[in-house]
Amino acid sequence: MQLEENVQAAFNGLREHKFRSFLTMLGIIFGVASVIAMLSIGEGAKREAIKKYQQLGVNNIIIRDMDLSDKELESVRAKFSPGLSLKDAQAIKDIVPQIVDLAPQAEKKADVKYQDKSIKATLIGVTPSYSEILNYTTESGSFVNKDHQNRQLKVCVIGTDIASKFFTVDDPIGQSIKVDDQWLEVIGVLNSKSLFTETVGELASRDLNSDIYIPLSTFHKRFEKEKLLSSELKQITIKLEGSENISQISNIVENLINRHHFNNKDFSIVIPIELLKQEEKERRIYNILLGSIAAISLLVGGIGIMNIMLATVMERTREIGVRRAIGAKKDDILSQFITESLVLSITGGVIGVILGLTLSITISLSTAITTSVTLYSVLIAFLFSVLVGVTFGYLPARKAARLSPIESIRYE
Amino acid sequence: MLIEIKDLRKKYIMGEMEVEALRGVNLNISTNEFVSIMGPSGSGKSTLMNILGCLDTPSSGQYLFDSIDISSRTDDELSEIRNQKIGFIFQTFNLLPKLDALQNVELPLIYSGVEKHLRKDLAKKALKRLGLENRMNHKPNELSGGQRQRVAIARALVTNPGIILADEPTGNLDTKTGFEIMEIFKELHQEGNTIILITHEPEIAEQADRGIIIRDGLITKDALNTTIISPNKTILTQV
Repeated sequence: MQLEENVQAAFNGLREHKFRSFLTMLGIIFGVASVIAMLSIGEGAKREAIKKYQQLGVNNIIIRDMDLSDKELESVRAKFSPGLSLKDAQAIKDIVPQIVDLAPQAEKKADVKYQDKSIKATLIGVTPSYSEILNYTTESGSFVNKDHQNRQLKVCVIGTDIASKFFTVDDPIGQSIKVDDQWLEVIGVLNSKSLFTETVGELASRDLNSDIYIPLSTFHKRFEKEKLLSSELKQITIKLEGSENISQISNIVENLINRHHFNNKDFSIVIPIELLKQEEKERRIYNILLGSIAAISLLVGGIGIMNIMLATVMERTREIGVRRAIGAKKDDILSQFITESLVLSITGGVIGVILGLTLSITISLSTAITTSVTLYSVLIAFLFSVLVGVTFGYLPARKAARLSPIESIRYE
Repeated sequence: MLIEIKDLRKKYIMGEMEVEALRGVNLNISTNEFVSIMGPSGSGKSTLMNILGCLDTPSSGQYLFDSIDISSRTDDELSEIRNQKIGFIFQTFNLLPKLDALQNVELPLIYSGVEKHLRKDLAKKALKRLGLENRMNHKPNELSGGQRQRVAIARALVTNPGIILADEPTGNLDTKTGFEIMEIFKELHQEGNTIILITHEPEIAEQADRGIIIRDGLITKDALNTTIISPNKTILTQV
C-alpha cells in the first residue's frame, strides 16, 4: 500500500470525525505546547544570565574588599592587613600570567546635589582602563581618561538615571554638580546598564545607572574615606586573555593577596564565568524537571491516541477483513493504522507548536519573565509527538494486522 | 487443472470440542468451468470457500491452486495470490463505505502496487464494462443493491484474476436484480473466466454448468447440469 493513499485516508478520517480527533489530540497539543513554553522560559532565563555575566566580563576575575564592621576592621588592621590596595593591584599586574589589564576601583556613598535637587549615589573612583574592562560606553561626552587621572581633575561621568533626574532640559555635559563638598564637572553620561536585581556573589546589588565615576586619583585626594579604616580600594577587576585557566589563575591571585594581607580573609573573589556555569547547571536540572512534567502530558496524550486507535480498529474490523481478502498484507494494514495515528499525533504536534509559541510570546509580553523559543526546543517537542504517534499507534495497528481475515470479514 | 483438491480436511477447535468442518473433500476444477457449490448452513461450504479463496489453509490434505501448493505458503504469499489470481464477490458486497465506486475498484490495484494513472484507467474501464460509467464518484450508500454488486464485480475483475469466487452474490438482491447479476456471470464465463458460485438457492445453482452439493463436510453430489436454464427463462417461468 502506498504512503500517499494511507496519508490521504488518514486525513479523510480526521476530517470526518473532527471533534473526536480534536479530543484525541488534546493531550499531544498540551504536551507539545507546555514543552515548548517551559523550554522557552528556561532559555529566556539562560539568555538573561549570560547578558548579566557578560557585563561583569566572561574573562574577568573580580576581587572585592569585604564589607566589614568597624570592629572587624580594627581587628584585621591589628593583624597587619592593609586591606585591598593599589599595591595589591600592582603585584597582580606584575605576577599573574595571562593578564590583559586590570581596573582598581574605590567606592563610597555620597550626597549629590545639582541646583535644588539632591540624591544619594555611589561615588566610584576608577582608572581609564575601567570602561574597557567592564564594557562601559558613554551615551554622550567621554569617560575618564589618562589626563584626568594624572592631573587629579575634578571631573565626573554620571549614570543615565542621574542625568535624567538632574538635567531635564539642560545638556549635562559641562555642568557642575556637588558631590559631598566637592564641585565636579560632568564630562560624560553612561549608556544604560541593565539592573542587577539579585546579588551576584559578593557583588552588592545596586542600580548601576545611579553611579558617579571620577578619576581614582581625584577620589583619593579629594574625598574622605567612608570609614576611618576603610581600605584604599573596594574592588580590583582583572581581565584575562581567555577563560580556560581562569580558576587556576584565580588561585594564584588569592594566594598572592592572602600573603599581602597576612592571611586575613578580608576580601572575596568572584569569577563571573564560574557563577554562570554554576547557574546553568542548576537551571539544567530545573529544565529537566519541567520537561519531564510536560513529557507526562505527552505520555497521557499518547495513551489517548492508543485508546481511540483501538476503538477505530474494532469499528473497522470489517474494512480490515475486506482489505485483507482483496490482497492487503499484514504489513499493509499495520502501516495503514500507524499512519493514521501518526497523522493524529503530528497534527496535534503542529497545533501544539503553534500554541506553545503563542503561549511563550504571551508570557513574555504579560509578565516580567523573558522567554526565548529555540528551533531546538520546537524540534524536540515535535519529534516527541512523532515518537508518541509511532509508539502508541503500534499496538492497535498490530492488533488490526493480526485479525483473521475470515472472521473480520463476517464481523457485524 | 486450475484447482486440485485431494482428501482436504479442516478442523476447528471450539472450546473443548473439535469440529471437523471438512472431512476429506476431493475436487478438481479446470480453467473456464462454471461451478456451483450448494449446501445447507453448517455443511462446510463456507469453510471450503475460504480455503478455495486462500483465506484459510487446510488442516490436512492437498490443495493445488494453479499448480501452487497452498498449504505451504506464507501469509504474505497468500495475500499476493488473493490479490492477483482471485476475484471475491460477497453477499453483502463489502464495499468500503467511505470510498466512492472508483476508489473501491482501485483498492486491489493499490495493493499490487500499480502506478496511480494506470490504476485509475483500469478501474474506470472495469466500471464502464459493468455499465457504471455514470456512477464512478458515488459512494456505496448512493447506489442501489444491484449497482453495489456490480461495483463489487468490477473490483473483483480489475486485476484480471481469471477466477471469480462468489459467495451468495444474489442473496441480498431481489429476484430480478439477482438474475441480472447472474447474466453478468454468464458473460464472464463466456469470456473465459472460471466461476465458482456458492449458493443455497437451487434456481441460482441450476444456471452453472456443474453442480456440487456438500453436506456434513463431504461432497455428496458432483454432476454436470443437463438442464441449464437461461436466467431470462427462469424469470419468465416465475412471472
